[in-house]
Amino acid sequence: MNNIETMEYKDINEVMYKYNHKSGLNVFVIPKKGYSKKYAVFATHFGSINTKFSEEGNRKVTTVPEGIAHFLEHKLFDQKDGSIMDKFSLLGSEPNAYTSFNQTVYLFSCTDKFNENFGLLLNFVQNPYFVDESIEKEKSIIKQEINMYKDNANWRSFFNFLKALYKNNNVRNEILGTSESIDNINKEILLKCYNNFYNLTNMVVCIVGDVDKDEVFAQIEKQIENNYKSETEVRRIFPKEPEKINVPYIEEKMQISMPLFQIGYKDNFINNIAWSKNQINNIVDPSTDELFENKTDLLKREISIKILLEMIMGRSSSLYLSLYEQGLINNTFDFDYTAEENYAYSVISGESQDPIKVKEIILQNINEKFSNLNEQDFVRVRNAMYGRNLRWFNSVETISGRFVSSFFKDNYLFDYFNLYDKIDFEYIINIMKEHFKHEYFAMSVIMPS
Amino acid sequence: MNNLNLEVNSRLIYSFTNSEIYFIPTTKYKTNTITFFFIDDLRKETVSKNAMIPAVLRRGCNKYPSMNEISLQLENLFGASFDCGIIKKGEYHVIFFYAECISDNYLSQKMKGNNQDDIFHDCIELLIDIITDPIIENGAFKPDFLKQEKENLKRLIKGRINDKVTYAIDRCFEEMCKDEPFGIYQYGDISGLEQVDETNLYHQYNKIIHNTPLKVFISGNIPKENIDYLKDILITKRANIIANTNITSSRDEANNINDNDKNKELKEYNEILDITQAKLSVGFNTNIYPKDQDYYSLLVCNSILDGGMNSKLFKNIRENAGLAYYIFSQLEKFKGLYLISCGIDAQNKEKTVELILEQIKAIKLGDISKIEYESALKSIETGINSLKDNQLQVIDYYLVQLLSKTEDNFDTLLKKVKSVTISDVIKVAKKIEPELVYLLSSKQ
Repeated sequence: MNNIETMEYKDINEVMYKYNHKSGLNVFVIPKKGYSKKYAVFATHFGSINTKFSEEGNRKVTTVPEGIAHFLEHKLFDQKDGSIMDKFSLLGSEPNAYTSFNQTVYLFSCTDKFNENFGLLLNFVQNPYFVDESIEKEKSIIKQEINMYKDNANWRSFFNFLKALYKNNNVRNEILGTSESIDNINKEILLKCYNNFYNLTNMVVCIVGDVDKDEVFAQIEKQIENNYKSETEVRRIFPKEPEKINVPYIEEKMQISMPLFQIGYKDNFINNIAWSKNQINNIVDPSTDELFENKTDLLKREISIKILLEMIMGRSSSLYLSLYEQGLINNTFDFDYTAEENYAYSVISGESQDPIKVKEIILQNINEKFSNLNEQDFVRVRNAMYGRNLRWFNSVETISGRFVSSFFKDNYLFDYFNLYDKIDFEYIINIMKEHFKHEYFAMSVIMPS
Repeated sequence: MNNLNLEVNSRLIYSFTNSEIYFIPTTKYKTNTITFFFIDDLRKETVSKNAMIPAVLRRGCNKYPSMNEISLQLENLFGASFDCGIIKKGEYHVIFFYAECISDNYLSQKMKGNNQDDIFHDCIELLIDIITDPIIENGAFKPDFLKQEKENLKRLIKGRINDKVTYAIDRCFEEMCKDEPFGIYQYGDISGLEQVDETNLYHQYNKIIHNTPLKVFISGNIPKENIDYLKDILITKRANIIANTNITSSRDEANNINDNDKNKELKEYNEILDITQAKLSVGFNTNIYPKDQDYYSLLVCNSILDGGMNSKLFKNIRENAGLAYYIFSQLEKFKGLYLISCGIDAQNKEKTVELILEQIKAIKLGDISKIEYESALKSIETGINSLKDNQLQVIDYYLVQLLSKTEDNFDTLLKKVKSVTISDVIKVAKKIEPELVYLLSSKQ
């Protein structure tokens, strides 16, 4: 077939096949010989942050209840002849789905009967079947799920951190919605979201495992129902978000044994930038749009800030040792950096008897580091990160999840590995000055009640 | 390097007094791993000390006298990782140490640059240093290390309540086995922890390192030189070992003699915590152990109850009744116990317990559809096959086989499961008796 592209990554002994279907759907196969599990995902670029949109050419703006993407994910499993779960079960596979801020992912893993399972996946995601009675019953199940998360102190701490950073950005809203917002969901709203966002140009299929790529692509040809590329593009509408943080500190009480903290920096480089082809931020004057010259700049920034975090407070740092020896942190201490289509932030989290003191020591240390980064540390940390990230390829589940996330940011997972030796010390120093600015710093704490 | 080998079979390649090395040669993963398991008994007198041993050792050894120096060395080894701790397997208290690194053939010459060291050799060496060469002052561990790690462990013990889902499961088992070693929380309790000092801990450490049965697993694309190095160094370090009587094989049975006499009345236990969603755990006695023929039937019975979307618990308690968002079961094979746990509204406790018991009753009465049975088998098969894709889960699987003194590899296990019939399942369900209803909820 001539619409198959082969991409080889010899250094890491991986290869990927890409198939371009007429409908605009991108399909990827990443073979993993000898693995029993085959993992298939069918994902759409629609998540909890997409609660406002308008269709192309239609000036009417639609606002949908919070939690709609997640609710839709649950309901898609309903079919005319019962739940699709039964059919997957008979084949011995494990279907699942998850909704995050910016994507909804449907997947299954199986160890045999791949074609049959894949057929089911393609079928049910393309054929919604919404019934009032079932929608009502689902509300009580999801309310249980919401309650389960209410008891999760880490989850609460994280969302409070997002609320501290962001005043309006939808990332601050609960992915599952609230009991109240769920009550407003009905068949019509579900269908509207489905029709707008479950558009094949907005979606991706990725298979990881010991499969035959030609068989997979042939099955796509047979089972993808649209043969034309849809011209309608949904316009996503996001609230205007100021550059400054919302509030510097949020505290809440729960019955836990020790205080939890999340601290970090809002990264504004992502504002006002339309770097994703599907993304139109309609509150920005197009003439001031800045486009990345090279879309791997996003990945480079991500890797760099992660290297910086590791250098400043990773397990080999004197800062970590000092905080640990003073009994101020324990091995729940962790950090990360996230950059998505319209938000980016770094976050540092953990348990501590004295979160305020931890914050002060970290901030002081960051201040000192501005003039004190060591190139040897940088090289060592960069190499270690490369080695650690290679582990992603031990797991078909990790590969597919990360692949989809990168894809919706217009990148391939494998691109990470070409970038490590393109990041130099000077670049890191500049990024540090850009990102770790005190005015963009916020903190969230959960205290024991 | 070795040829392509995508299997994950374990074989004993070396054994001497109380020490065994198992090798899982494979090119399936991008990583090589080495794990040490010291197998002790779970006892009130030693639980806190055993929990403290890995905590103190990870703080530093003579060659790398602090945590960040250990981390620095790991970074030098291209992001190798190291971990240690304790796990509870039945009434065994297992202290583990493990290290993992990227297999040499994935590090290009460009990345390695001038560094031509054998990374896996250095990993093994680092692990051996951490385990056998701790910082000792006057016949005791460093007081600073001890003090800080005692604080950390204290917080961990108090922090049990933060993970309410796991808490509700563990507490149910603990209440069921109050007077048995299995009822001991693997991290011990605060009063036991307070008894630990740097000298008595060092004594316990010596006992563990020199006298306790040791099983070492090495997995990946590993050249002979690394294996020979491991053998030689292990012999040297365990040279002073005193031949020890094997862990009693009848210990499990000995402790379970009481189970047959257990009062068959269904007991209740309520615990109060400030939570939104109540957690319910129903504990059962099965009297079936891994060496019994019935064990495989029990696996299938469990799968019919909780083996995915077609299982009785999922369909009847979550989907149809809408009582719980999550419900799952757990088989505690070493003690012959079984548990079903879910998150519910506290007011629905009676209803939910009734529905749960109905599911098991249904199986006892032979109410098992062909779909339920076939899905259950399929689910186990998928689970077994998927396990093989995870390097550490494979090692854990083989360790458990050793501890339960069964010798199933992945193929024989699957074969035995597949030969279980519906009437086998009914027979085994009749042995499942409910014993305790545990509820974790907020103040009324």
